[in-house]
Amino acid sequence: MKAKRIATALALALAATTALAACGSDKDSADSAGGKTVNWWTWDERQAASYKKCLPGFEAANPGITVKISQYAVDDYFTKLTAGFVSGAAPDAFQNSVPLLGAYAGQKQIMALDDQIKKTNYDLSVFDIGVESWKYTDGKQYGIPLDWAGAAIYFNEDKATKAGVTADDIANMTWNPDDGGTFDTIVTKLTVDKNGKRGDQPGFDKTKIATYGIASLASGDFNGQTSWNPFVSTTGWRLGDKPAWPTKFPYDDPNFVKTLEYIKGLGDRGLMPKFGQLTVAGSQQIGSGQVAMAQGGTWDATSMTKIPGVKVGVAPTVKGPQGRSMISNSNANNIYAGTKNLDSTWKWVTYMGSEACQSTAGADATFLPSIAKSLQAAVDAQKKDGLDLTGFVNALNNGELYPAPPTANGQQLVDTIQPLFEAYFSGEKDKAVFPEMAAKTQEILAKQ
Amino acid sequence: MAVLETTARDQRASGEATRRRKNARRTTNPYSPAHRGDAKLAWVLIAPALVGFAVFAAYPTLRGIYLSFTDFAVLSPPEWIGLDNYRQLLGDEVFWSSLGVTVYFVLLSVSLGLVVSVVTAAVLHRITSSTVIRGLIILPFLISGVVAGTVWWWMLDSQLGIVNIVIKAFGGDGIQFLTSRDWAIPSVALINVWKQMGYTAIIIFAGLQTIPATIYEAGRVDGASELRMFRTLTLPLLRPILALVVVLNVINAFQVFDIVSVTTKGGPANASNVLQMYIYSKAFGQFDFGYAATMSLALFVILIAITFLQMRLLRASESDTN
Repeated sequence: MKAKRIATALALALAATTALAACGSDKDSADSAGGKTVNWWTWDERQAASYKKCLPGFEAANPGITVKISQYAVDDYFTKLTAGFVSGAAPDAFQNSVPLLGAYAGQKQIMALDDQIKKTNYDLSVFDIGVESWKYTDGKQYGIPLDWAGAAIYFNEDKATKAGVTADDIANMTWNPDDGGTFDTIVTKLTVDKNGKRGDQPGFDKTKIATYGIASLASGDFNGQTSWNPFVSTTGWRLGDKPAWPTKFPYDDPNFVKTLEYIKGLGDRGLMPKFGQLTVAGSQQIGSGQVAMAQGGTWDATSMTKIPGVKVGVAPTVKGPQGRSMISNSNANNIYAGTKNLDSTWKWVTYMGSEACQSTAGADATFLPSIAKSLQAAVDAQKKDGLDLTGFVNALNNGELYPAPPTANGQQLVDTIQPLFEAYFSGEKDKAVFPEMAAKTQEILAKQ
Repeated sequence: MAVLETTARDQRASGEATRRRKNARRTTNPYSPAHRGDAKLAWVLIAPALVGFAVFAAYPTLRGIYLSFTDFAVLSPPEWIGLDNYRQLLGDEVFWSSLGVTVYFVLLSVSLGLVVSVVTAAVLHRITSSTVIRGLIILPFLISGVVAGTVWWWMLDSQLGIVNIVIKAFGGDGIQFLTSRDWAIPSVALINVWKQMGYTAIIIFAGLQTIPATIYEAGRVDGASELRMFRTLTLPLLRPILALVVVLNVINAFQVFDIVSVTTKGGPANASNVLQMYIYSKAFGQFDFGYAATMSLALFVILIAITFLQMRLLRASESDTN
């Protein structure tokens, strides 16, 4: 009798738990099946806040559709997405980065948008950058561009003035891999040792540095977006042997090797911190006075220029043998292949890709819109706050950007190449590592 | 009469004993009709654990073994590829380097951890019986690996960390604890020792308390010093406990992930890329779940070997202490 009572109690508890779980899943599916709520994810909390400003306009134009914006830290973002794909609970649409296009499109987790584009006569020519980066190997369009990102140089205005360097000098720095051009001269002048000697003065002690001329350009990043790329790209070097779906990264190119040797040499000369020496972000390095200049992402503009007590100027990247040039990453919206809200989701995605939304959300300069008019609107809005981002518009309008090529096996490239760059910059390996790196990329990219 | 009475009493006593024996048999035989209800109850009570074991341990293990023979990118069905993943494993230099890094970490972490724990336990045993002190010593073990890693990440930072500030205050040059090849694994091992030491020390402390005080009294009568008694009495008598903690710590150290993930992320240049980090990056970074399952299986085999070692050590310890 007692056993029966216990068994009954356990069965009831189990049934109650199941019922509660069922209640939860019913609610979720009701939202989805109703087609009234579009779930959209981003990894950037600042962009999440900016895009929320588009919601009133969208919801007024599309009564009955609501949008839920969720933000997850970038370290967890793609793992959560994968879990969402597996469980069927991925967001209807989400911000994505080019290196993941191959994996998601190849496994049919995101949908080709050509049918929707055709059905609604959506005009992709509104974008000035990013469209081509989101074409998969089948030639179909999988992403609607959101923003682009490149590099810029940020400098401590007071330290520059003390060194006799003007903002114009920095904005017009020349560079070449042989003698470093005026960039080298300026970095040398801006570097000060603990005895107050500048890098170009007799008695300069490169082992005891108070302020480095520039923050570290040594990076394990396989495309070197904010480190070596804006230098090597000015020699005509490009990350891939083709603009899209390359078969090799030419790390063994003589211009690449020469550039990287020059950059590594800056650390050996005491003008730049060595690899791993400074661990805090570029803005903190400038803020603390440890570096006079830092090459950072365009996305750093608002945080760099709002460091308390430090006046920070923004300058474009260096002019090299073939002018200015740098790689740009274009993020875009993807639509989950399993969405139950395709029509509503498409409306939201195309609204985000409109000049209206891009100008509204872009005004905060938390991202650089892929639509030139919206970018100009963002620059104008920031100018009122005293921040001059004209260089970013010039970079877009003057063709100084080349898009990061979509590739197969993006994460494998990262995991394989990063340790080799780190070994090079830490002195564990010399320039003989570059042919090895090129060969490895060839092997990885061949697995398409 | 007396004889008869005695016989009757004996018979009653004998009948009573028989009844008791029968009752005892009925009580101990789980298959007897009287226990049928109990067996059902037992199954009901065991069921949750059994289901949990089947769903969360047995099935994933079997599934992992199956996946190790497949090309499985998680978002599409697994494709049988036979021994290809195992061939890849044999020629994968990153796997072997990660295994080497892991073994280095295990050796450092376990040996240093054991020394620190034994000393801490011995000091605790001799000096204080305060539960507050014991509580404080075990505190780091109760903190999650992510939190411990984050705290130490700040403390060991080459620019802002308190450790380097102190080193520089004494005229040193500062050390790139987490960003240099030479220091990455020793630093992570140090964090792991700090986190695990309390738990290990408390187990050893419990072992110390089982050693009879009379043994030490006899040692003192014979004129043995404290150090000699520790070496010749305490350590041999602690051997079963030491064997247990060594094996537990080795298994724990082989599975290190959270501290590495927070502090060094496997870098620089794979210098701290322990096996669990590599498995994680293959699975959740590159979606190569098939190959990740193969590496997990390799780790599983290593840990089984350690378990056998544990059994041998424990058997050896039993004969030593008896």
